[in-house]
Amino acid sequence: MNDIEHIVNEVSEKIKNSDIAALEKIRTEYLGKNGVLTHILKSLHKYSIKEKKKIGSEANKAKTFIENEIEKRKENLKEALVNEKMQKEKLDYSQSFYFPFAKGSFHPVIETIETISSVFKSLGFFVAEGYEIENDWYNFEALNMPKSHPARDTQDTFYLEGMRNLLRTHTSPSQIHIMEKQKPPVRVIVPGRVYRNEASDSSHSSTFHQIEGLTVDENVTFTDLKAVLTEFVGRFFGSALKVRFRPSHFQFTEPSAEVDIQCFFCGGKGCRLCKNSGFIEILGCGMVHPNVLKAVNYDSEKYTGYAFGIGIERITMLKYEIDDIRLLYENDLRFLKQF
Amino acid sequence: MKISYKWLKKFVDFDLNLQELVSVLNSIGIETVVVSAGSGWTNVVAAKVLTVQKHPQADKLSLCKVSDGSNDYSIVSAAKNIAVGQIVPLAKIGAVLPGNFKIKESKIRGIKSEGMICSEAELGLLEKSGGILVLNEIAKIGDALENVLGEADSILEIEITTNRGDCLSHLGVAREISAKLQKAVALPAIKIFNTADLQYVEIKSNLCSRYIGSVISGIKIGPSPKWISDALEKSGIRSINNVVDITNYVMIELGQPLHAFDITKLSSKRVIVRKAGDSEKITALNGIEYKLDSDMLIIADKEKPVAIAGVMGGEYSCIDEKTKTIFLESAIFDSASIRKTSKKLNLSSDSSYRFERGLGWDMSEFASWRAVNLLTEIAGGKLESRKDLKIVEYEQIRIALRIERVSKVLGYAVEESEIFSILKFLGIDVKYGNGRIFCNIPSWRNDIKEEVDLIEEIARIKGYDFIPSPKISHTQIYAQDNSFLPVVVKKFRVKLNSLGFSEALNYSFSEISELDKFGLKYFYKIMNPISKENEVLKPSLLPALYKNLLLNIDQGCEIAALFEYGKIFNELGERKTFALIMCGKVWREWWKWTEQKISPKYDFYFGGGIIRNILPDGEFKIDKNLNPRSYYHFGKNAAVLYRGRPIGQLGILNPSISDSVKDDVFYCEIDLEPLEDVYVEKKSVYKAYSKFPAVKRDISVTADKSLRFAEIENIIKNFIKSGSCLKEYSLFSVYSDETRLGGGKVGYSFRLSYKNNERTLTDEEVNKDMGALLKKLDDETGVKLRRQ
Repeated sequence: MNDIEHIVNEVSEKIKNSDIAALEKIRTEYLGKNGVLTHILKSLHKYSIKEKKKIGSEANKAKTFIENEIEKRKENLKEALVNEKMQKEKLDYSQSFYFPFAKGSFHPVIETIETISSVFKSLGFFVAEGYEIENDWYNFEALNMPKSHPARDTQDTFYLEGMRNLLRTHTSPSQIHIMEKQKPPVRVIVPGRVYRNEASDSSHSSTFHQIEGLTVDENVTFTDLKAVLTEFVGRFFGSALKVRFRPSHFQFTEPSAEVDIQCFFCGGKGCRLCKNSGFIEILGCGMVHPNVLKAVNYDSEKYTGYAFGIGIERITMLKYEIDDIRLLYENDLRFLKQF
Repeated sequence: MKISYKWLKKFVDFDLNLQELVSVLNSIGIETVVVSAGSGWTNVVAAKVLTVQKHPQADKLSLCKVSDGSNDYSIVSAAKNIAVGQIVPLAKIGAVLPGNFKIKESKIRGIKSEGMICSEAELGLLEKSGGILVLNEIAKIGDALENVLGEADSILEIEITTNRGDCLSHLGVAREISAKLQKAVALPAIKIFNTADLQYVEIKSNLCSRYIGSVISGIKIGPSPKWISDALEKSGIRSINNVVDITNYVMIELGQPLHAFDITKLSSKRVIVRKAGDSEKITALNGIEYKLDSDMLIIADKEKPVAIAGVMGGEYSCIDEKTKTIFLESAIFDSASIRKTSKKLNLSSDSSYRFERGLGWDMSEFASWRAVNLLTEIAGGKLESRKDLKIVEYEQIRIALRIERVSKVLGYAVEESEIFSILKFLGIDVKYGNGRIFCNIPSWRNDIKEEVDLIEEIARIKGYDFIPSPKISHTQIYAQDNSFLPVVVKKFRVKLNSLGFSEALNYSFSEISELDKFGLKYFYKIMNPISKENEVLKPSLLPALYKNLLLNIDQGCEIAALFEYGKIFNELGERKTFALIMCGKVWREWWKWTEQKISPKYDFYFGGGIIRNILPDGEFKIDKNLNPRSYYHFGKNAAVLYRGRPIGQLGILNPSISDSVKDDVFYCEIDLEPLEDVYVEKKSVYKAYSKFPAVKRDISVTADKSLRFAEIENIIKNFIKSGSCLKEYSLFSVYSDETRLGGGKVGYSFRLSYKNNERTLTDEEVNKDMGALLKKLDDETGVKLRRQ
């Protein structure tokens, strides 16, 4: 009895400091054919039935215990070995991961168009396209801008030689094309390039992008215009910013408005960016002028609508804090890779 | 236009401080900013300079002692114009200057300064100033500066939309304030004189609809009284003499441009309003000679033009110090004609700016009397004779406004009584009847032409903020997910982005000389470019992208890979196009790749591989280029086909074009118009794959150099299709050492992959199949197995 207990203690002590080879030796020494415990079990016949039962069970327990201890020790040794290996292989991740290709980038103007489009798409607008080469009717006349109207002065126009065409000065001519092609209800946005024949500087460019928006249906009101644009501003710039509709004038809308948002730089306190006004102008809009509806043979008594125009470069520059519009068209990779 | 706060108050008695006024004006559509903010300070007093010494540590600073009567202060100042005995504005400790600038006790170069002596700029009185403000010597020391100066005026800069010419005066802005606040406008009092009829005015063109001429004698030319020159200065107009100043004063007061001629300088005392002759010339008041033409309206005497109507007077007939009798013109000219003339001559003025936007019929008369009154009061004149020529009969605009239409457009019902009073305070003569309001529009509001214009007025004056903006609760989504970018472009962008490409965006223009370099023709020429860069619309994305490439190479960029989506303008019109350009290293070098230290460079095959990779599977193919662009290397280009039709080309640029770049420049341009409805999703159908391992064999063959690789490839492809256990092949080596292969030969090495879906293939089966392939290659193209 004491023998078994003694044996177990002795073996446990040995296992603690053994390596793999020593463990095998221990196994043979105690559990093998001629092992100490095997020997005890083999010599059970020497004992009385009562003792036989007791010693037998003690010896079997001890056998299982030692077996487990050896396995445990083995596991520990293996783990220690793997750990040691990993320790040796340890790498300094700060030495840089590697991807063979350079970092790619998307142009911020296209990205802004895509983001704005997705907001309006989720508000039920269909994305349409327009032509960049237009004529006087679509670009001006049909939009209630008769010849020699001073409003034309603000849109210096590129004319094409040898034909009566011009490069559109805004995306609004697409309003006319769309209404000519379909009957109400109309609910579209039209992103695209527009052109102004003016010298370029840090805030002016002969080429830039706009997104035109147009909704025409029965019972469309200024309230709907405010609702949609307020929703857009909230989703694009964040709903925490105040939105302001300020009366303005465009020939093809009446009433017309400009939409300002609270300056996100200074939170409306007044700074250089918002010229101390606390607000930044972001788009122009209004109710479609009845003359425009008449130009496409819509019943201007039955139908009303709203239209809006967003300057993409302006919004992009605000969003990414770009201070010179020309950077957007230089395609210097040091600029492009930042987006 | 610059507007004086105090002057506005003379027209309408409003109770708004400066900031409130600015926000009211903005809210009704007049963009307003403050130019100078009157007494935007606190705790600034008049103080006397007692001593001035040099600052011991700084040459440019002085050390002053000043007194406000009860205390002395030591002040460090940088002003050069400071002198003992001056009375100056002293901002004491605790004072606040415009821009929330707080004055604190400070040490300047080691010396304590107990306040600041201020300049006009620092006080917000002027935008710029040269030194400290020296006050009148009779100013009482210790008095608050605002009392010394008399309450300073504030100046606003306003921006008026093109339709609101009537707001280009103090009266005009006052009318808007009056409408918003519902307070009456007070016009300046005028006296009307009865006089003889003026005989010598003649109108020969209907571009002038009203012409009021007044002859005033006994004029004494001299400087203007201070209130007039001050008023002009605030509006940014230089004071010249009393007569010219009065015409300008009335213009900024009432909005009507006036012109005064020295009558003695007019030949035969005739004033003729007519179109110019084609060879006529005039030297305008700015000293520049202008060539006139028969579209331009002028004022002439018997012999020659004396003024460009509505734009600028002539030098010849101008008022000078000897002038005694003047002819005063107050007229209405056709706005489109004035605009055209002004544009053609590239000459604009305060006068033309107003005429272009249209003037009120009644105002020309009122303004003419206002000026006559001032000329008699101030310049000693006497009205001799006068004539009011109405070439057309003025017709007042009458509009019937349907009340229910207001809410139909605005989505918000404004009370009838409120509509009524808004319109009334806008100066509209209103009468109510049967669900309608009958409106007689005042002559100065030439922008109000129809019902919807009145609805805008109601919304504008009521305030856009009052129109509700309901939260959008439901949204409708279109089934078709369309986008600004064509579907293929969306795929291209994502794939190229992960291959390290950057998206570029270029202008749509090009220069002819630039296009010549690439052998490109233009199809659209700009008639009126302001610079050479805008000469023509670009027929290809290449010139601009190539320029981008050079820019980046010049700044030391080793990997340059760009793509662009945009329109080009060619013989087929405006075409959506996609292009990519690449040059230089393919990847960045890495310390760990000891055997791959140097990156490969983009070449024809790799570029082509990228194109093949980004094109959707299925109907796209890269094939022989039957009509290569001349900008390509004639031996390194190919065509991109879609459903067998060429839609683009790819290749290495002709070395004579890219001579400044040492590496190959790969360029590909694809016309997207035929791809409008390409279905780019993979049309794949799942097929069970073999669970048994593939048997791989490498073979090397030799072929005649003249044989196109595609022919060998076709045989292999057809062989696979014919049901062979050969499933895949790849070309892994091209060998061209003719000394070993024999002249005119080229070697190809393929890796062949054999598979059977049911079992593992035996060597014999594979050998038999490979033998059949080799025989086919030999029979059909003379390609032979190479034996080492």
